[in-house]
Amino acid sequence: MKQLSAKSLRGETRMAYALLAPAALFIAIFMIYPVIYVVLMSLFRTNKLGILQNFVWFENFIKQFQKKVFWVVTGRSLLWTVLAVLAKTVLGMVIALCLNTEFKGRKFARLLFIIPWASSVPISSMLWKWVYDHEFGLLNHTLMRLGIMSNPPVWTGDPFWSFFACLWVDVWIGVPFMALVFLAGMQSVSRDLYESAEVDGVGAWGKFFYITVPSIKQIIFIATLLSSLWTFNDFNTIYILTKGGPAGATDILITSIYTNGFEWLRFSDAAVMAVVTFIVLMVVSIVYARVYFRGEDEAL
Amino acid sequence: MSKKLTFRNRHKIPVVLLTIALLVIMLFPFFVMLSTMLKKSTAIYVRPPYWIPREFAWDNFVRVWSEYYLLQYFNNSVLVGLGTTILNAIVIIPAAYSIARFKFKGRSVILYSLLAMQMFSPVIIIISLFRVFIKLQLLDKLIGLILANTVITLSFTTWLMYGYFSSIPGEIEDAARIDGCSRMGTLTLIMIPIAAPGLVTAMIYTFIQAWNDFLFPLSFINAQKKMPLTLGIYQFVGRWATQWEMLNVAAFIALIPVLVLFFIIEKQLVAGLAGGAVKG
Repeated sequence: MKQLSAKSLRGETRMAYALLAPAALFIAIFMIYPVIYVVLMSLFRTNKLGILQNFVWFENFIKQFQKKVFWVVTGRSLLWTVLAVLAKTVLGMVIALCLNTEFKGRKFARLLFIIPWASSVPISSMLWKWVYDHEFGLLNHTLMRLGIMSNPPVWTGDPFWSFFACLWVDVWIGVPFMALVFLAGMQSVSRDLYESAEVDGVGAWGKFFYITVPSIKQIIFIATLLSSLWTFNDFNTIYILTKGGPAGATDILITSIYTNGFEWLRFSDAAVMAVVTFIVLMVVSIVYARVYFRGEDEAL
Repeated sequence: MSKKLTFRNRHKIPVVLLTIALLVIMLFPFFVMLSTMLKKSTAIYVRPPYWIPREFAWDNFVRVWSEYYLLQYFNNSVLVGLGTTILNAIVIIPAAYSIARFKFKGRSVILYSLLAMQMFSPVIIIISLFRVFIKLQLLDKLIGLILANTVITLSFTTWLMYGYFSSIPGEIEDAARIDGCSRMGTLTLIMIPIAAPGLVTAMIYTFIQAWNDFLFPLSFINAQKKMPLTLGIYQFVGRWATQWEMLNVAAFIALIPVLVLFFIIEKQLVAGLAGGAVKG
């Protein structure tokens, strides 16, 4: 190919930036500016309209960190994420193993398993609200009829059970993704490995722990990392099912930001929590980006 | 040989049973939806509840359109979905092409940011975005929802298109350029047609995201006339007694389009999210 002159190279660079401009403009107005503004809100006293009043340095942060409820909500966010991701991973693995077995109707079963993920999260949450209804809902009725629970709880109204009720809906939404990714990984593992293991008399558990898990280690890592972020960020499920109630029993950081801001108009408090959340997400996403790029170095 | 076969088959029965049990659990709310949406309104608040409607209320499907604002909500969702899809495509095609084909300063930073931005939650900026919306007079407007959803979907779709564009061999473009085709010409006449499957995936993904969005309308829409389906159906949850049969019919109607679209792009979506890990 002909050697490109310096002038045309500069022209190329200019063109590259020009092509990026529309996307950059959108991100600048609707993402970067709002992020800066949230940071400012966290450092200023704000009025009921969210307008900056006077600069107070880290006063809002200090005030927030002295509140017990902030630590309870943050702790619950972490508990929420850990428990949900753990449940999603285990259940996803079980489903993937089932679907990795050859039986008639396996493709159809796979299709059906995707439905909870494919559905709209807010709509599914509304459906669950009705499923959980303690008097007229079919869940409690079915649990009693099958003899699983003789006196099922008021799922979304009980301070203890509401957390698990919300957690289960989040798990239920996230499981199909895990199952599909694990299944894709399992199907790329060479059959020879299993056959030679069978010859050596290795059992089903042995094959799972010594062949399957090590082969899809990377996939498990990426999937659980992604899932943790989604779980940590899950606003719709909790907001629709309980709005963080009863009495704050299901409030996590992401719902607390919203209710502080939009319902109580405490913008500085909301901003502090948003900044804390932002930092947590940044750290995790940098880890994700590093792992992701490890697989495809040529991208950089 | 025959021994091996029976061994395998014996193992399959518990797996099939387990699969069925898991499916029943995972599809439970949809069974409840199908049962509830066909019940008469008088059969909702009944104790004990029952599964099979004693009288099938097919007219629920008519009533939900005529007695509620469902048509309005549906139209708004279609408008927001299509608007976001088109705007998103207009923005991402040049951006993805630029990252895939040009070498320039800051390119790797952009790649990293695109990936990191996918982890971003709009809730973090919702309070300041509200201020932006006031200033730009976007509250209670569908265009506001279109803009917000475009920005949120931008990073993943640009990423996806970048992957498709980079996988096209440079020689194809070079050949066209030697024949006198301009950069823009190769993009529109060669690159986009070849990357069409990727573009379709990106567009469907965008449409689904916009259709499912609840946070932005919840925060920025007050007028009944401007509500999309998610927020509109949420209005069915009343303070005293929710008309659950109507909510379930509406939910069913709102879910069908996204389910169909989702199944079209499901494989590409999994690969795009988990990256190289799934492919190899």
